[in-house]
Amino acid sequence: MGKKGKKFLSVGVLLMGGLLCLSLLFMPASAQARNIKVGIIDCYSGPAAVYCNEALNGFKLALKEINKQGVLGRKIEFTTRDTKFKVDLALNMAKELVMRENVDALAGTINSGAALAVSEAVAKAEKIPLLVWISKSERITGEKGHRYVFSTGENTAMAGKAAGVALSRKPYKKYWIAGDDYEYGHAMADAAWRNLKALRPDVKLIGKSWWKPGEPDLVPYFTAIVAAKAEAVILCTGGRSMANALKTIRAMDLTKKVVPWIHTATEIAVLRSLGPGAPEGVLGTSDYLFYYPDTPENRAFANAFKSAYGSPPGFPGFHGYITAKFIAEGFRKAGSLNKEKFIDMLEGLKIDSPVGGKLEMRACDHQVVLPIYLGVTKKVPQYNFLISADNITLSGDEVMPSCEEIMKARGKK
Amino acid sequence: MVKPGSSLRSFWICAAILVVLLFLPPVIPRFYTYILASIFVTSLLAMSLNMVVGYGGLFQFHHAAFYGVGAYTFGLLLTKTHLPMLVAFIAGPIAAALAGLLIGWFCVRLIKLYFAMLQISLGSLLWAIAFRWYSLTGGDDGMHGIPTPSFLFSSTHAYYFILIVFSVCLLLMYLILKSPFGMTLQAIRDNPDRCEAVGVNVRRHQLIGIIIATFFAGVAGVLFVVLEHSVFPDLLFWILSLEVFIMCLLGGWFTFIGPVIGAAIMVSLRTFVGIYTQYWTLILGVLLIFLIFFLPEGIMGFISAKLGSKPVEGIERAVE
Amino acid sequence: MELSQSISFAALGGHFFVGLSRAMILFVVTSGLSLVLGVLRVPNIAHGSLYMIGAFAAYTISRLFGGGSTAFWLALVISPFVVAAVSLVAERLLFQHLYQREHLMLLLFTFALMLILGDLVKLVWGAGEYRSIVPPQLLKGSASIFGSSIPRYNLFLIIIGPLVAVGLWLFTNRTKMGKIARAAAVDREMVGAVGINVSWVFAFAFVLGCFLAGLGGALVAPTISVSLGMDHDIIIEAFLIVTIGGLGNMWGAMVGSLIFGLTQSFGVLFWPQFAIVFPYTAVVIVLLWRPMGMLKSVW
Repeated sequence: MGKKGKKFLSVGVLLMGGLLCLSLLFMPASAQARNIKVGIIDCYSGPAAVYCNEALNGFKLALKEINKQGVLGRKIEFTTRDTKFKVDLALNMAKELVMRENVDALAGTINSGAALAVSEAVAKAEKIPLLVWISKSERITGEKGHRYVFSTGENTAMAGKAAGVALSRKPYKKYWIAGDDYEYGHAMADAAWRNLKALRPDVKLIGKSWWKPGEPDLVPYFTAIVAAKAEAVILCTGGRSMANALKTIRAMDLTKKVVPWIHTATEIAVLRSLGPGAPEGVLGTSDYLFYYPDTPENRAFANAFKSAYGSPPGFPGFHGYITAKFIAEGFRKAGSLNKEKFIDMLEGLKIDSPVGGKLEMRACDHQVVLPIYLGVTKKVPQYNFLISADNITLSGDEVMPSCEEIMKARGKK
Repeated sequence: MVKPGSSLRSFWICAAILVVLLFLPPVIPRFYTYILASIFVTSLLAMSLNMVVGYGGLFQFHHAAFYGVGAYTFGLLLTKTHLPMLVAFIAGPIAAALAGLLIGWFCVRLIKLYFAMLQISLGSLLWAIAFRWYSLTGGDDGMHGIPTPSFLFSSTHAYYFILIVFSVCLLLMYLILKSPFGMTLQAIRDNPDRCEAVGVNVRRHQLIGIIIATFFAGVAGVLFVVLEHSVFPDLLFWILSLEVFIMCLLGGWFTFIGPVIGAAIMVSLRTFVGIYTQYWTLILGVLLIFLIFFLPEGIMGFISAKLGSKPVEGIERAVE
Repeated sequence: MELSQSISFAALGGHFFVGLSRAMILFVVTSGLSLVLGVLRVPNIAHGSLYMIGAFAAYTISRLFGGGSTAFWLALVISPFVVAAVSLVAERLLFQHLYQREHLMLLLFTFALMLILGDLVKLVWGAGEYRSIVPPQLLKGSASIFGSSIPRYNLFLIIIGPLVAVGLWLFTNRTKMGKIARAAAVDREMVGAVGINVSWVFAFAFVLGCFLAGLGGALVAPTISVSLGMDHDIIIEAFLIVTIGGLGNMWGAMVGSLIFGLTQSFGVLFWPQFAIVFPYTAVVIVLLWRPMGMLKSVW
């Protein structure tokens, strides 16, 4: 065979291979009896996976209940995609779910960058409802909100306002702001400080420090805060960094010198992992506690969750659970799989909350109305981890930005 | 690596492939046009990297930084200014090339792993800027819903646009590598000392190589925005750089078309294996190990070696 | 953002010790990486994964022994050996066939290994919870030095780091195995030619390097939350450190770690908003000033 022939052959082989690959790609996604299909994009690898798996568990628990009676004579099924905390993968997978799997709704994700990207490039562009369940960026339903995106979790604006209200009742004047150097940390800090300053004009900010997310060693940062003689510190951290922060607080006996407030410091995922090694006296806020308020509904939900997955739920499990409930109720009310109708029905929809009472999906910004509980970490005999004690409930209306504020934020960009 | 005699035939083959690709969108589902477009963008990035890695013998370890610079420039100009699309489109690659000039100017003083680490540090500083400068870049969340012109909004139109730009870039890269400059670059890869001795300015050639490669990386960045309407700091992160590097090695880094194969494999693998399991990186890892043991020259390298086309000289010398 | 106004002596001292303790963890990890780079010429990207396995193993072992002080010390001793065992398997099965390959192929290979080990950790330990180890009673709480409180555990790290360094130095300079390894780093053919089984020398050096990664992981575990993704967090820092120190030079790893740890720590003090860029800038400066690293490289 001549050289040219060989070359030709090589290209031929390549083409054949390419065609083979293509034909593999063409295998249609399964199209059996039409159930309601929810596509879930979230991060099931890396440090964030802890929260994402729990949200998924909450979602599954709700589906078990929902599918007993069915929705419009169908079942709700779901399929998950692991985004590995990467925005490009999230986009890739969300498009795959919408274009190839033909899902009826999308849910996820912990990564606010991914949530915003999917919200714009998939939900809005393809007219598919997206329910964001962990990401706490206020921009999702705030300035970047639109018809196709919903949030079933609390956000930085709400947590920050709760912090402002709560801290304004404390005597501290000299504050320090510190946290993870990313959008979540900064948004949280801004919201908390803005609200605190509005309620208590006499507070003073004496310094700020930001560390890279996942920073293993927080001692230098805390040393600086103590050296500056701050009275309280607004700590804007979460997830894995939260455990580091709490450990360092404990190791340095920080609470004796300065009072830290951290959103989700009272969250079970981190407190459980630290066991008795967590510090007492940290102010924390959360939108779900499995032991507070101590209603029969909440106990039943927590027990059901615990018997299914081995541990009581934290906020992701709660968010996952109510997301499924909202989806089911929305389709029931819509009476069909029509997505536009589903969205119309979801606006202002009220469902039974697992903690008792009702939960409303606010019509104006598609943000679920959630109360925030403020408490302080404390050792109690009945658990082998710390819990949030002396809890105060700040109702949803107290902590949420008003519809006018949201519309103003959306208008200005 | 194509000999002059067979170049006409290669041309016709390429033209045929192009025609097939042009007629695909109406007949295949929309998702596959999207994945193909995604493969073109990633391929362009991988090929631009291969210009300096495979042909230049440089340890360009933070190529994604330039991809990100291109994407961010394009995205910022479209979002914050009212400049026409064409200006933004040209500004993206130029900004990337400028970043390439700046970083490359420092890096060409060093060799191998030192070159690589210096570039990672400098590239990470760019990443830190994108990650930190909230008021401009949107910080770690990035910018989403970038208003690309309406004629590019449908995914089919975006596909055609990306395909055409990709083809043009491919042709340009091919011509550059066949030019005297490209030949000199390869000679430097094979034996920098001898080139220095015969009066070639090694550093300058390497620097120009980097500028050209980063320019095309910038084009890829712009195309990414056209496809996804988003920019975010992951685009400048070292993990992406490493992945692109792996694509080159996987496809065959001493072949012109190898990186395309590598990119196609990585993109389709993560998309289609990701449907069935979250452990697709495990599968990718195992696959890579098999390749290393059985196809050390990458897939294209294997094919051309099997078919007895011209072996590439200086492979061993290029790296040690 | 304005610079912090009041930088007291106490704060300086405090940050110095904290930077030092961070540097020691980095040193333990990077000395292993440097050893592997120096003797075997393998740029081992999977080194970070072994560090992660060390931390996870320490968690499991300390749980196994009840989570008390004794459990901690046992975990600290045993988990590096677990990592060493994993690396021995990897070396005998895979690495030893690849030493003659080009660096970039080795890079590709270790990258593949990183992907595999990362997912294996997820398979074995799961991604359902955060894990945490409590330091032993002896090292709990903090001590006051120069008027600023430093956790005792950090002081413990400052002691461990030099011990590892001295141990490693004694090994490479005073033992036969170490001397052979050093010789093999310079000229492996020659070592083979004088009748020494180079293959096992390499295996030993590799396993020792990975042992140190495991030790680093076990040491860091009580200060952080043990979770997936630790491999990504450390590996680039580790490579930058061994490069600015001088590839394959153990004392170089020490110097690099100190540069990294201290610039980070003092960066926080002087300019907290941009602390993130200080170590990178330090690397750029070092490499422009000394393109082959601070100390003599064996490459």
